[in-house]
Amino acid sequence: MAYIEVDGLTKDFIVKEKRQKGKLLREKKTVHALRGVSFAVGRGELVGYIGPNGAGKSTTVKILSGILVPDGGEVLVGGLVPWKERREHVKHIGVVFGQRSQLWWDVPIVDSYSLLKDIYRIPEGDYEARLKELTQALDLEPLLRTPLRLLSLGQRMRAELCGSLLHRPELLFLDEPTIGLDAVSKLSLREFLKWENKEYGTTVMLTTHDMEDIEALCSRVMVLGHGQKLFDGRLPDLLARFDTVRNVRVKYAAALPDLHLPDDVGWSRTEDGFELSYRLSALPTAKLLSLLEEAGEISELTLQPENTDRLIAAMYKELDL
Amino acid sequence: MKAYAAVFRMRLRMELQYRGAMIGGILCQMFFGLILVALYRALYAGGAQPVPIEDVATYVWLQQAFFRMMLASDADLLDKIRSGDISYDLCRPIHMYGFYYARIAAQKLTGSLMRAVPMLIMAFLLPRGWGISRPSSLSALLACIPALMLGLLCVCALENITVAFTMKTLDPRGMQGLLNLLMVTLSGNLFPLTLFPENWQKAITLFPYAQLLDAPIRIYTGGYLMSGVLRVYALQAFWVCVLAAAGVFMWNANRKRMIVQGG
Repeated sequence: MAYIEVDGLTKDFIVKEKRQKGKLLREKKTVHALRGVSFAVGRGELVGYIGPNGAGKSTTVKILSGILVPDGGEVLVGGLVPWKERREHVKHIGVVFGQRSQLWWDVPIVDSYSLLKDIYRIPEGDYEARLKELTQALDLEPLLRTPLRLLSLGQRMRAELCGSLLHRPELLFLDEPTIGLDAVSKLSLREFLKWENKEYGTTVMLTTHDMEDIEALCSRVMVLGHGQKLFDGRLPDLLARFDTVRNVRVKYAAALPDLHLPDDVGWSRTEDGFELSYRLSALPTAKLLSLLEEAGEISELTLQPENTDRLIAAMYKELDL
Repeated sequence: MKAYAAVFRMRLRMELQYRGAMIGGILCQMFFGLILVALYRALYAGGAQPVPIEDVATYVWLQQAFFRMMLASDADLLDKIRSGDISYDLCRPIHMYGFYYARIAAQKLTGSLMRAVPMLIMAFLLPRGWGISRPSSLSALLACIPALMLGLLCVCALENITVAFTMKTLDPRGMQGLLNLLMVTLSGNLFPLTLFPENWQKAITLFPYAQLLDAPIRIYTGGYLMSGVLRVYALQAFWVCVLAAAGVFMWNANRKRMIVQGG
């Protein structure tokens, strides 16, 4: 049996709309946040969970972490139903909500950790060892005595992550953990997550809009849209289905020649060359290269696959999300 | 139990940081205390009342000194519910009612003691009939302390009901406004309950709001005799149990149908 089993999960929210003119009561609208989502995740897996805003990602995470009660479907995490056996279930999970804070604003972060120690009943010796390990890995040692309000966003995110991992959760939910972080912080956060997963076999479910997070961390990715699961598999397989566009930058040694290209190649002139993009299905790469060479002596040429963000945008568009 | 004690300590320490708010609060309450006492003295100048003016002044000062225990909400806590940061608390292996109860109790206890001690000292220094009088007896003073503790437990249970309402309405202000109105009138904060007509008092003193400060003050001034003190404790304890049970019930009901805000 898989570690996380989700079967036919549904959740509706009832939204009251603004009262229409001439009507006494507000109309109610049902929003189907989840309409029958099923998946299974094995122990130690690192799974990315993506989808546009409002797809139902956070709703899934809230149900899996026992905060929200679903309307239908079955969920088992490590053999427990999260919302029924909440207190037992949450002992084994850690959660990071990228836009929220669990640490106390006005007190040094180490005091917040100490409160978490008492909440999770972590034995003193274990707590010391784990705190030391995490503060070293996350580079938090110099900040332990600093109140949360004085930390930068990147420092705060690391501090939050440390707080969520003190009790050695078997399962970690990360809801947009890299939101608003600079490049260095993002990289170190990813490194740390990989290390934690490898060292302790922690199962990680990551929701994000940052495709680099997924590329760097997740061996598996699930796409959610309109409350339904649309894809479940390896990221390269997902991209392959939509990866049909290539971008070319070309510079010429001498003056810019006139290009004679098929109509469906998009191109624009830059200072000393051209930028082109074309569909692989419309024009084989070899054909395009020969056309470019005929035009003049090429000094530099770069060929790039479409960037992941654009691919995902194209995918959302194609799936009508 | 350790978790609840830990959050109690944490909130207590946080409260101790707000020294500016403490000084502001003391000045404000001193001002209101003096105005109210002056008002009652004017009333008494017009004609004799059934309760001696010294007792009324004592009543006013004790109410003002413990103002923070009655009418102060944990703004951080209510904010958490509004913004959805409560998600984190919901993922902890603890009972939410108890966790928040401990938090509220720490805030009310520290907040009121920090203000009450300096205020009572100042009120003792005021001339007789203006300031606070000594307790009717040493045993009355001692008997007043458990009553204050029970009052604190009672007000925390009341506050937790407001918090549970906020889980539904998301904005605390409506419910808070309504409950605070009941609080200031029925607890004796605005107008000493001892000055209400005799018949009214019989009913009002049975209400939960009278258990908070009115009961301890009456023990202090000797309005409640030492022989009846156990009966007072029993009534207070009864309300603590009823209000806590109502709060726990509301929390459990909320859990089943709650929607946490924000993505």
